[in-house]
Amino acid sequence: MRQSNRESAGHVARRASIENSLLAAVPRKEYRRLLAGLEPVTLTFGEVLYEPGETIRHVYFPGASLVSLLTLVDGHLGLEVGLIGREGMVGIPLVLGHNVSSVRALVQGSGTAMRMASAHFRKEFRLSLPLQQELYRYIHTLMAQISQTAACNRFHVVEARLARWLLMTHDRVKSDQFRMTHEFLGHMLGVRRVGVTKAAQALQKRKLISYSRGDIIVLDHRGLEAAACQCYEVVKDMHDGAQAGYAMRKMRISAAA
Amino acid sequence: MLAPHTPKQNHLLAALPAADYERLLSHLELVPLELGWALYESGSQQGYVYFPTASIVSLLYVMHDGSSAEIAIVGNEGVVGIALFMGGETTPSRAVVQSAGYAFRLKGSLLKGEFERGGPLQYLLLRYTQALITQMAQTAVCNRHHTVEQQLCRWLLLSLDRLPSSELTMTQELIANMLGVRREGVTEAAGKLQAAGLIHYSRGKITVLDRPKLEARVCECYAVVKRESDRLLSRKTAIVDQLS
Repeated sequence: MRQSNRESAGHVARRASIENSLLAAVPRKEYRRLLAGLEPVTLTFGEVLYEPGETIRHVYFPGASLVSLLTLVDGHLGLEVGLIGREGMVGIPLVLGHNVSSVRALVQGSGTAMRMASAHFRKEFRLSLPLQQELYRYIHTLMAQISQTAACNRFHVVEARLARWLLMTHDRVKSDQFRMTHEFLGHMLGVRRVGVTKAAQALQKRKLISYSRGDIIVLDHRGLEAAACQCYEVVKDMHDGAQAGYAMRKMRISAAA
Repeated sequence: MLAPHTPKQNHLLAALPAADYERLLSHLELVPLELGWALYESGSQQGYVYFPTASIVSLLYVMHDGSSAEIAIVGNEGVVGIALFMGGETTPSRAVVQSAGYAFRLKGSLLKGEFERGGPLQYLLLRYTQALITQMAQTAVCNRHHTVEQQLCRWLLLSLDRLPSSELTMTQELIANMLGVRREGVTEAAGKLQAAGLIHYSRGKITVLDRPKLEARVCECYAVVKRESDRLLSRKTAIVDQLS
């Protein structure tokens, strides 16, 4: 009895350091087995993890890093359709029985991640019911995010979308300062560079951000929230809801153990 | 003249092995889908999932201010209500009938149970989910970068692929809602296609007259979605993959 108590205390301490929420939500026994196939990596800004049509070699569980999913058209135009951080996994097609990516996965925030080779992941996925359930739920959230992004792109002006995008990045990297080029932002928001410049200047003029040579500093978080479209709140709620869900299921798991 | 309704008119159900199909058969209920009927409201609980046979259902994302944009369409290639087996408590989108027809419905609890068995139905539903995600992402980028006319062509072609006939029962107002543009924009785009002899529009019925010409006008988004759907959902692929 005492033995198992000590063990679970140690297990909680160890697991507190698991940065990725999906991995943290998997029961200890399963996590231990997963760990054998997980490799810590550092993802750097601008790195491309997948190109559309390419075979997926690894799945990634971001920790402090952030990965953008981009859909490309007409050779050069793009649009960010999803953003994956510590709440998720990059490589969803593997869960859905497909080994090819239909989007470009681009590192948008440098930082840590755990990765696993595709073949290994498929095997583990088949074995672990809790991992399956967490991933299915996560896909549901991701689909809601993609839908919401589609609608936002349709109805909201660039300035409001830029404000939202900066806030989402801010929340995930947990820093007031990050690097972004106009070209990169243009891809994310699906607008030309000049559109990004105009929107960024407008936000700068309102003293909400400072922007020079690709360095963005958020000066007024509240003001930026007011400038962003409602979608920021919606996505934040979805995201927080997912996080709360993980925490609740984890509590249930430890209570049952 | 009319062919009898059978669940096999839905490609997901038709791709099931006989034993799995037989197990579901007595629970599948034929329902008529009337134009404009909402199968789900966003944020609502889902009692049923729907397998369309001769109808098109549009998934719409509804904003706080009530405006909505279409994020995907579902016809005889798919199923409406995937939130149910993905473990989402409620659906994030509104599902509205865009082209009237029929579907077979199945109780949500039953489908969830079948999904959890982990057999061929789970496999097919997951692959369908991947195809749907691709369609959603492509729709988002298409809305951003392509003209109303191109989007209308994409919509017509995707719908045709998901229906047994070349006739769509719908109104311009619904098309405008779904593309998230003003009605005049749709009227103008549809007028151009009609003048060029590609479609015929009359009293809420659109008939596609010249499919190759529609394909010549459409943006690449149609081909991307079609390729992915074909690859993921063709019956041959499904069975071969399942066996390997």
